[in-house]
Amino acid sequence: MGVSCKKHMLKFDPRTELLFLVLANVVAFTQHSLWVEITWVVLLLLLIIACGCTKAAGRLAFAFGLCLFLQYYVFSNGPKILASSFTILVSYARKVFPCLIVGTLILQKTSVRELMAALRRCHIPQGLIIPLSVTIRYFPALKEEVGYIRDAMKLRDIHGIQKMECLLVPVMISATTTAEELSAAAVTRGIENPVHKTSMVEMKFGVQDFLCLAVGVVFCFISVTAG
Amino acid sequence: MSNSKNGKGLKGKDLITIGIFSAIYFVINFAFMLMGGIHPVLWMLMPGFIAVFAGIPFMLMAAKVQKPGAVFLMGLITALIYFATGQFTLVILISMASTCILAEVIRGMTKYDSFKGNSVSYVIFSLGMVGSPLPIWLFKADFLAQITEQGMPADYVSAVEALSSNAMLVVLFVSPIIGGIIGAFIAKALFKKHFVKAGIV
Repeated sequence: MGVSCKKHMLKFDPRTELLFLVLANVVAFTQHSLWVEITWVVLLLLLIIACGCTKAAGRLAFAFGLCLFLQYYVFSNGPKILASSFTILVSYARKVFPCLIVGTLILQKTSVRELMAALRRCHIPQGLIIPLSVTIRYFPALKEEVGYIRDAMKLRDIHGIQKMECLLVPVMISATTTAEELSAAAVTRGIENPVHKTSMVEMKFGVQDFLCLAVGVVFCFISVTAG
Repeated sequence: MSNSKNGKGLKGKDLITIGIFSAIYFVINFAFMLMGGIHPVLWMLMPGFIAVFAGIPFMLMAAKVQKPGAVFLMGLITALIYFATGQFTLVILISMASTCILAEVIRGMTKYDSFKGNSVSYVIFSLGMVGSPLPIWLFKADFLAQITEQGMPADYVSAVEALSSNAMLVVLFVSPIIGGIIGAFIAKALFKKHFVKAGIV
């Protein structure tokens, strides 16, 4: 896959990326052989390197190697308590790796706007696209909010069970106000207009999309039949 | 609320409200999901833990959006994000879809604004997460064979086997019910103490 993408800084159609997510899921839950898994992860890593996520690819490769090392070396030789506590976590983490790699690619190289346009092209109903895009965009805001509240709690020296309440209540109240403000803005900009929405984002399947999808499907087929 | 009368379908504002509270629900859900990775027992109790703490976003959303489809969308968004990170198996998809539909039916029957109706629907909604550890029981033989094959120590395998007894299965199903009831009452208490005074419900 990586070989077929020699051009520097490859750019995929968002729909291809979504399809890859599905493929990654299928492979993750059908294959049982270690070598199939490693090949698939390496191919996907090459793919995202070709797309320009070199740093993220490095980190993911390191994490994957760490998982393998833990599972095949440390757990069988180290103390038992370590193995029984972390086995599920590590084997689960390993299983989600392909999806994690594709997810990283989507997060780093595709804006929410492009993703929404792609979903709209796939005829996903508006009633799902709007809340989904709000959810995805609200995560960073939520993180920021929780950071401020934590600082405030430190200043006032709040501990124990009270912490829960002091964290949740402001978050909820600010969420409610945000919902109100956001919907006022969105309604003004015509979110309730039933007409088909137009988009500045151009979308077209290119050669690289077809090539990579073909390789992905073939691989999927191999993993299902061989696994 | 008055906006439940004008128009049955979900409007832009409802959709955005659902989106925001789904984000909070997901974060709470995810935190406990990560915790579940530490030890199998925590994983089995996870649906219960989530139920205790996620009651507030759920009940607040239920109070804000008194229309059909809100709960279903919340479940669907959670499922989709988990799907993207590869944590969703078919089992949890089925369990979540069925509980979400059931929760919607309960809300519909109780006209969307009663505390009791919303609590019952919340308890059912919480049961949806049971599908995450459920494969341990459903594919017990397969699962044990698989982890033995992966080179797990024998005593770990026997520990998992002991955990997957029928008694633990009962615990798995009872914990989100109890957790859901506690969560609903926590939400009610906080509503009374803060949200009604602040005028947001």
